[in-house]
Amino acid sequence: MGRLRRSRAHHARRDVQRGARTRVRTRDLDMIQLIDLDPKNRAALEAQAIDYEKPGLAQHYCVECAKYFETDAALQSHWRSKVHKRRLKQLREPAYTIEESERAAGLGRENRRPQTVSSTTMETDMMGTA
Amino acid sequence: MRVEKCYFCSTNVYPGHGSAFVRNDSKVFRFCTSKCHKNFKMKRNPRKVRWTKAFRKAAGKEMTIDSTIDFEKRRNVPVRYDRNLIETTVKAMKRVGEIKARRERVFFKHRMAASREKQRAHRKKVMEAAKTSSVKLHEPISIESTTSQEKIKVPVKARSALIQGEGRSMGMEID
Repeated sequence: MGRLRRSRAHHARRDVQRGARTRVRTRDLDMIQLIDLDPKNRAALEAQAIDYEKPGLAQHYCVECAKYFETDAALQSHWRSKVHKRRLKQLREPAYTIEESERAAGLGRENRRPQTVSSTTMETDMMGTA
Repeated sequence: MRVEKCYFCSTNVYPGHGSAFVRNDSKVFRFCTSKCHKNFKMKRNPRKVRWTKAFRKAAGKEMTIDSTIDFEKRRNVPVRYDRNLIETTVKAMKRVGEIKARRERVFFKHRMAASREKQRAHRKKVMEAAKTSSVKLHEPISIESTTSQEKIKVPVKARSALIQGEGRSMGMEID
């Protein structure tokens, strides 16, 4: 007789799929880097009003990791942790944006209104490349 | 009709293909395939994934500064249809494509030449390291070991396929 069944056939996918749901999405790196780390926004995030829905009444918030903590001690120990330091390292390099994906594809942006001049410059550029 | 670019791998996404994700700050992320979508969900950075356009551009594997790249643009102002303009544009596109292909070939050649140099230098370094390394190979010394067991030869009796009389064969002998 052949093999009846394999073990580990279901890959424990449940938690992976649950973690990828839209409603558990956390703030993306580019949002944190371009919006939250701005000093004005940062100050607003660190001094939030009391919110009964959030952990620790939204009083202990780590801006870089976009995470609420229960107590100040927990926040302090988080700042000393590896997870937080890794996050800081990730935030140090420029964030990847939609604009960059378009630039990588060779798609530029035309910001000014097209004029008759632009078409002639295109022609001359063509001559230059030929 | 607008041909979009995939957020992850930067390939073209034609109308009716791929999928889009709209983040709660109303930014639209377009994906050419489920592969790209999954990689996005894993929060991977396209600049660090080797098969994406973003990686190839960032790592200097493709042309980044060239006048032939600057033609493709997102123009948010519609152009009134003009037969002559379309005709010249199509002609220009073909010509630009030709020039671009040629330049890419040259770029690739230069890149490969540089990498070959690097490879050669690396190989040389490895060889040097191997020569000066502390590990030295000696010829094995032949020592007559006294403890080795000698094989005992058992004389093999010649067997015959012929069956002898009374139905007895030679092979049935048991010691």
